[in-house]
Amino acid sequence: MKKPINRFLLKLLLFIMPVFVFFEVLFRLGFAPIVTDSTLFDLKMLAVQKHQVKNIKLLAMGSSITLYELNSDSMVQNFKLPYYNFASWGLQMADMNRLLNSLVKTNQPKYVVICSSFPDFVSPPNNSYLNYINANSFIKDDFPELFYFKNYNSIHQVIRRKFNTYPLSLDNWGGASLSDKLRNTNSEKWNEHDIFPTKYTPLNYKALDSLSTFLNEQKIKLIFVQVPIKKSYTNTDRSKQIISGHFDSCKSIVEGKGGIYLNYYNPTIFTDSLFIDQYHLQQAGSVILTSEIVADLKKIIKQ
Amino acid sequence: MLFTSVTFVFFIAVFFILYWYVLGGNLKLQNVLILTGSYIFYAWWDWRFLFLLASSSTLNFFLAIWIAKSKNEKYRGFLLWIGLCIGLGSLLFFKYFNFFVVSLVNAFRVFHIQSDIHTLNIILPLGISFYTFRSLSYLLDIKSEKIKPTTDWVVFYSYVSFFPCLLSGPIDRPKTLIPQLEKKRVFDYSQASDGMRQVLWGLFKKIVIADNCAALTNPIFEHYKFLPASSLLFAVFLFTIQLYADFSGYSDMAIGIASLLGFRITRNFNFPFFAQSIPDFWRRWHISLTSWLTDYVFTPLSIYFRDYGKAGLILAILINFTAIGIWHGANWTFITFGFLHGCFYIPSILRGTINRNKKNSRINGGRFSLSAFISMVATFMLLMLTFIIFRADNLARAFDYYSKLFSRSILYRFTITEKVNTIATLTAIVMMLCAEWLQQDKQHALQIDVIKRFPVRALIYFGLIFMILFFSPPTITDFIYFKF
Repeated sequence: MKKPINRFLLKLLLFIMPVFVFFEVLFRLGFAPIVTDSTLFDLKMLAVQKHQVKNIKLLAMGSSITLYELNSDSMVQNFKLPYYNFASWGLQMADMNRLLNSLVKTNQPKYVVICSSFPDFVSPPNNSYLNYINANSFIKDDFPELFYFKNYNSIHQVIRRKFNTYPLSLDNWGGASLSDKLRNTNSEKWNEHDIFPTKYTPLNYKALDSLSTFLNEQKIKLIFVQVPIKKSYTNTDRSKQIISGHFDSCKSIVEGKGGIYLNYYNPTIFTDSLFIDQYHLQQAGSVILTSEIVADLKKIIKQ
Repeated sequence: MLFTSVTFVFFIAVFFILYWYVLGGNLKLQNVLILTGSYIFYAWWDWRFLFLLASSSTLNFFLAIWIAKSKNEKYRGFLLWIGLCIGLGSLLFFKYFNFFVVSLVNAFRVFHIQSDIHTLNIILPLGISFYTFRSLSYLLDIKSEKIKPTTDWVVFYSYVSFFPCLLSGPIDRPKTLIPQLEKKRVFDYSQASDGMRQVLWGLFKKIVIADNCAALTNPIFEHYKFLPASSLLFAVFLFTIQLYADFSGYSDMAIGIASLLGFRITRNFNFPFFAQSIPDFWRRWHISLTSWLTDYVFTPLSIYFRDYGKAGLILAILINFTAIGIWHGANWTFITFGFLHGCFYIPSILRGTINRNKKNSRINGGRFSLSAFISMVATFMLLMLTFIIFRADNLARAFDYYSKLFSRSILYRFTITEKVNTIATLTAIVMMLCAEWLQQDKQHALQIDVIKRFPVRALIYFGLIFMILFFSPPTITDFIYFKF
């Protein structure tokens, strides 16, 4: 009986092997597997795997606001703790809540910094992040090629993603700066006036509450940074009321759970010329903001 | 655990090695492994419903033995009724309870009676329709002394829960599967290779065709009110193909996996799109269900109504097809779908041509006739139209879809956003239809032993693998028939 079965398995293996070889070649050529809906997140997690980023004690998390506005050089130069910026485009507070649960396990950080503003509280969580969060650590850390199969990546989508994404380069600590090319890509989008609050805002406040509770239980200090907002966005009484309400909500949630709330909304320092849209600062603006954050963090972070 | 998931690939790889290498030659242990594997496979979805599966198997195992032992016909009938009531009762509760409640409330409302009955939040156990039907046919066959009960509980439990067909069939009969479970199995290279080819063909149909069709049609069905009739027609065409590719793809994989383990299980599809009439279609579509209902519902009914001539036959057909409809789910859309298909039989009954088994036009003398082709296209069109009811959430939506479909915008151009996948899907559909047309005399389209040169065969296999890898859609959906 063994002979025919050996022949069968050998033949099967001969058919399967080229498929694995093909995907391995694809991976080595830089055609990363599609894990989530976010190109940047996938790219970042691949970088994390490649550079074996672990045991990060000062962990930055957030959306594009944290990604672009927390200057990696300033953070690394001023703090001796291992630092990495895990932020990614479009992350909502609900996403951060899920992701932090996973990242805390692998890194055991002492401090988590979240630079945030309204856009982090407007949408429902993106369930595609669960593909990464729920994946086995063997796949995440040692064998990310398996994501091709786990998520049924079609080759044409993998190729299309590689060639159709924004040009983006991350620094060694996961941060990035807004390039002119990106800024000019879609000026209308960058200047549009987002609606706030939305029907998902309460859900995201709840996520912030849950995230703060979790970090407090883990004895990890949450530092919640409210980033500046373009003055022209806040020129009506209604806008001012909304902003003030949002600041109060975040402050009470974070401080109520033992976290630190820092607010850098200051239209006198952060003038409209430093912005490229209502929340995102240009590189010069991000340097000023980081220097202010660093000065405050130095009072908080024990090295 | 979907057949298309990485988890299942690991599961079946480990299972296969244990089954043939470690336990090969030991029938009892192989059966224990089948039972354990089937229960793990089922528990992967929701372990709580494993108790339902196990308790249903236990009850039917003992009932069957008692039915066979008893000489008293009344007592045998009573035991059978217990089995039927509990089996169908659990099916009715899990699958139809809320439907009956809502229908009752709506019926009361017609007579201006307000009722305060509430629905329950019931989760439908996966595969319940399939394993209940398997158990019921076992009891019915023992009662009618077609088979003898097995005294080996592992064999019976494995028959009920056999993992390749547990969730979506085929609904194997006891006389097909139980003897195979009781007989020593030897690894057969050609059977295993053929099984692997059938799995590959099933994967191709599911991933490249069904899931891409789903990705294209779901948004159209969701926003049909704002789209031209040409889009709606395109969606109905793709949905008809999707339903077939999804379900027959699953069946191919199930049959293929069973072949890897040395089993030959019931064929579920016989190239239904080449049917030349609706009765012909139902002889080729979901064969294991239609033959089950023919044996246990239609035949007894037609005997019961035989004194009424053609009217009796029509009544039996209508009941049978309504049962097929309601088997699919607790919704008036399925009932209407079934009833409508029953009505399509009426002309053949009146003409007396219902049992005329149309010979396959290609095989029949190797000639292709235009009239056969026209019949096929007409049958397909009719199917497309009835599948609108099958696909709709409710009847009102289905009728609204019809009203939008039959409008002047049928001539409008429509835009396709996912061009690459649409072209790939249409190409794959053409490939599937051509392959199935050419292979109509085979069990599945990839039985290509007639091609003697291995490199040519290998090229075909790799071509399919390439298409699966290159054109899989962004999301792989659950098999449609899982919810039935």
